[in-house]
Amino acid sequence: MPLVLIARGLDPVLRLWQRCTGTGGMITFFLLPNMAIFGVFVIIPLVLNIIYSMTGGVDILLKDRSFIGLGQYGRLLECQDYLVSTTCREDQFWTAVRNTGTFVLFQVSLMVCVSMITALILNRKIAGRGFFRAVFFFPVLLSPVVVGLIWRWILQRQGLMNLIVTQLGFDPVVWLNDRFFAFSAAIGVSTWAHMGFYTLILLAGLQAIPKDLYEAAEMDATPASRVFWRITLPLLGPNLAVVLVLALIRGVQIFDEAYVLTGGGPGTSTLFITQYIYEVGFASFLRNPGLAAAASILMGLVLVVLTLIQLGLSRRAEKGNAR
Amino acid sequence: MNAVRNFVFARRGRAGKWHWTDIVTWIWLIGGTIIMFGPALWLISSSFKGPAQLAEFPPTLLPYVQEVAKVEGYDAPLPLYQVTQEDGSTRVMAEIRRIGTSAQMVDPANPEERVSVRLTDRQPVREVGLAINNYTDPFLAFDFMRYLGNSVFVTVMATLLTLLTNSMAAFALSKYRFKGRDAVMLLIVATLMVPLSVILVPLYSVVSSVGLLNSLWGVILPTIATPTGVFLLRQYMLTIPDELIEAARMDHASEWQIYWRIILPLAAPALAVLAIFSVVWRWNDFLWPLIVLSRRELYTLQIGLNTYAGELNVQWHYILAMTVVTMIPVVLVFIFLQRFITTGIAGAGIK
Amino acid sequence: MGRIVLKNIRKAFDAVEVIHGVDLEIKEGELVVFVGPSGCGKSTLLRLIAGLDTPTSGSIEIDGRDVTKAGAADRGLAMVFQSYALYPHMTVRQNLSFGLENQRMPKAEIAARVDEAARMLEIDELLGRRPTQLSGGQRQRVAIGRAIVRNPTAFLLDEPLSNLDAELRGTMRAELSALHARLSTTMIYVTHDQVEAMTLADRIVVLRKGVIEQVDTPLNLYNKPQNLFVAGFIGAPNMNFFKVEVKSGKAELPGGAQIAVVHEGPVTLGLRPQHLRLAQPEERAIAAEVFLIESLGAETVLHANVEGAGQIITVLDGQLDIARGAPIRLAFDDANLHAFDAAGQRIG
Repeated sequence: MPLVLIARGLDPVLRLWQRCTGTGGMITFFLLPNMAIFGVFVIIPLVLNIIYSMTGGVDILLKDRSFIGLGQYGRLLECQDYLVSTTCREDQFWTAVRNTGTFVLFQVSLMVCVSMITALILNRKIAGRGFFRAVFFFPVLLSPVVVGLIWRWILQRQGLMNLIVTQLGFDPVVWLNDRFFAFSAAIGVSTWAHMGFYTLILLAGLQAIPKDLYEAAEMDATPASRVFWRITLPLLGPNLAVVLVLALIRGVQIFDEAYVLTGGGPGTSTLFITQYIYEVGFASFLRNPGLAAAASILMGLVLVVLTLIQLGLSRRAEKGNAR
Repeated sequence: MNAVRNFVFARRGRAGKWHWTDIVTWIWLIGGTIIMFGPALWLISSSFKGPAQLAEFPPTLLPYVQEVAKVEGYDAPLPLYQVTQEDGSTRVMAEIRRIGTSAQMVDPANPEERVSVRLTDRQPVREVGLAINNYTDPFLAFDFMRYLGNSVFVTVMATLLTLLTNSMAAFALSKYRFKGRDAVMLLIVATLMVPLSVILVPLYSVVSSVGLLNSLWGVILPTIATPTGVFLLRQYMLTIPDELIEAARMDHASEWQIYWRIILPLAAPALAVLAIFSVVWRWNDFLWPLIVLSRRELYTLQIGLNTYAGELNVQWHYILAMTVVTMIPVVLVFIFLQRFITTGIAGAGIK
Repeated sequence: MGRIVLKNIRKAFDAVEVIHGVDLEIKEGELVVFVGPSGCGKSTLLRLIAGLDTPTSGSIEIDGRDVTKAGAADRGLAMVFQSYALYPHMTVRQNLSFGLENQRMPKAEIAARVDEAARMLEIDELLGRRPTQLSGGQRQRVAIGRAIVRNPTAFLLDEPLSNLDAELRGTMRAELSALHARLSTTMIYVTHDQVEAMTLADRIVVLRKGVIEQVDTPLNLYNKPQNLFVAGFIGAPNMNFFKVEVKSGKAELPGGAQIAVVHEGPVTLGLRPQHLRLAQPEERAIAAEVFLIESLGAETVLHANVEGAGQIITVLDGQLDIARGAPIRLAFDDANLHAFDAAGQRIG
């Protein structure tokens, strides 16, 4: 109610503004708040980022920093053997890059497979479809901190996972202290947390496939596997591509839940690029905002490429749907 | 009855036969339900266990509390144990204190006689019950209440401002033709490519130079101009017929009135979806508040929780309880508004 | 009140001009219908008058006041939209009051006006409902009611009946006519349906490709179309045309019939299907061969081929016993003959 009163009270003022400036003035009025915030908190930082990446020193305020050209990029990219991160000057950066690459490779494949199977199953005529759709969606809403803590609790020494493992006759493991298991946990947990989202997109794609195509295939006595490979998959193609690229974009930025789950450890085995940027920029006592900015620009370039691919694909998907 | 059974077990196999895909389907669905809900249920169950029980292995499925008894001559209630005696019989006794590997115990019925019992010879007497003080202590002893308040403030303000600014921009971008409209749209699309993690350092410097460091507004403001919000609302507003706006113009409505008396009510479904998203996003935000807020009294729940989890490494009973509290609003959203969100995502493909 | 004058109105969208200089004067209390094929600019012209679009050049005056630059709200006009454009989130009463509230009219007066309009349109039972709970005809009435309560200088109606079924359209047409008689406020009515135009209009404005072809009363348009386009557009079925060559004041119709025309050179002759009749044996006539018979009961429509001159359509009273392929001879009166010169303009 107070909002209504404010809106009503604003009317005479805005009527006057409209009379003085015309519709153009009103368009400005409607756009201004959003665009001002955009400008200050997105566009300006974007430009500043480039400047930051060309300055050195540990001060966070730009006026205290000195211009050093492309030195930060040189430092990031200086490497004797790109495959062995310890031979690089910024070995942590390369460890993070390699970890992120491995993570994306496995997590995205797992994610696409699992959400594809789930979507196919949810697309069947089953009882309680709405309920099960909700079940798989539930973790998407949880905060990364909650997700991280839930799984830290399950994977701890006296946790549920070890209960299951010992019941099956194996020795208990301190999961998050083991490089391999910690990394696998990061993959599994982030898949657990986000698969519901991708399942929904794929399910929407499946439900958009006209039913009569399946009926026609049934009239032709087409085997189920052939229906899947020749009808479902090609028609789902655009959605599948969007899911793939979206998962890639988000995989590259992995931070929150992995950070709460493992803190990047043990050692640097689950250190990912965003955590590297965060620590070099803010947390580590070897703070170097310029280096963080340079690393974030490199990551940004990868994301831009992926986003452009995604936009292209969704446009093609739209065209495909229109046809 | 048959119809119900057919509906529940609708499957590929004809004439009551189970096709292998039906079996896979139900294994997947039931297994999925356990994997998706199980961890959260385990968290809730664990959050009601006392510290001693949490340290046990193997863990129990349900939370138990140790039974206590009031014994004459002792002020505090004493914990009860099942003591195995030398002759093999058992009796229930109360513990007075522990001394090394044995404990001094007393029979509640006979408070005068004290017995020394080895720790290995006794089992605590327990019943299913809830360790409520896991929940009450953080509210009383820690800053948990303050964190909760901060999170609510950030979520509510950010959501209101998001709805207002995004809907105004979406209105201008969907219902007016003007020079530069395509350029503005392109700019908004382009910012989709700039996630927070890419502009972390300079954004921090901008927020600090406008004096919003260590202020909840420093958390709120950068989040409210979401390109997804503008997008979602614009797509919806495009479906509102232009004739309605023209009718309102003929009806002497000012452009501002058209916005709040025609467009806003008609875009209510899209606004609701965005509001739900915004609440979930802002409630769950982690990285940005982590950077902006360094004073403890300004922490949001997520930051506070993460800090506790780092500091009080042994006090899992409090952390688990606080995690459950942090989860509650999102679970409520899930229970009551899940349908809105899932259709919203299916329609717009956003998160 | 309600005199509207358009002076040399032009309108271009981007680089494409869709209205090419329109001059028009609409008298007080007149019901003027804009009619023409789709894309002729009739709706654009209405929106220019409404103030929803601004003309590229030219001027619009209402009651002597130049309103070319004024916004839609400041012209004192009311509009009924093709889709009705009722606010779906408001009740019927709120829909009717909205415009009055915007003018900051006292509440009591708003209520009085709304009730009066509702009674007039017999929608007083519906005031508490939302538009989605109304039938097409009821929505139509509410849309008209929203215009009436405003007590405007003129009503603008953009194809208001096109979303109704044929039967309801007939009823609403009659009601609109009665309403105009009762309010005697200027009305501008846009339609592509010539029956609506003919039955409702005091004067009809025929538009084609952004140009006014003719402005006149319905019967004058029918009886004396100024050019080939108007002749072909008004009247159903369409007028029959024959291209002939006039030599020393005489032209020969297909079949040998001679007629006098006050013109020289190529001429197009037009005959309405209703003005043809089956000829007596000796009478001067056009010979044709029937290829399609449409028996409608009260009348019969014959489609026939005229050798060397294409097709001819005729509407004859009553029911006729004519077989497909039968030869017929069609007679006419010279008074019903329309003649147009090479540029398509009426002769005589």
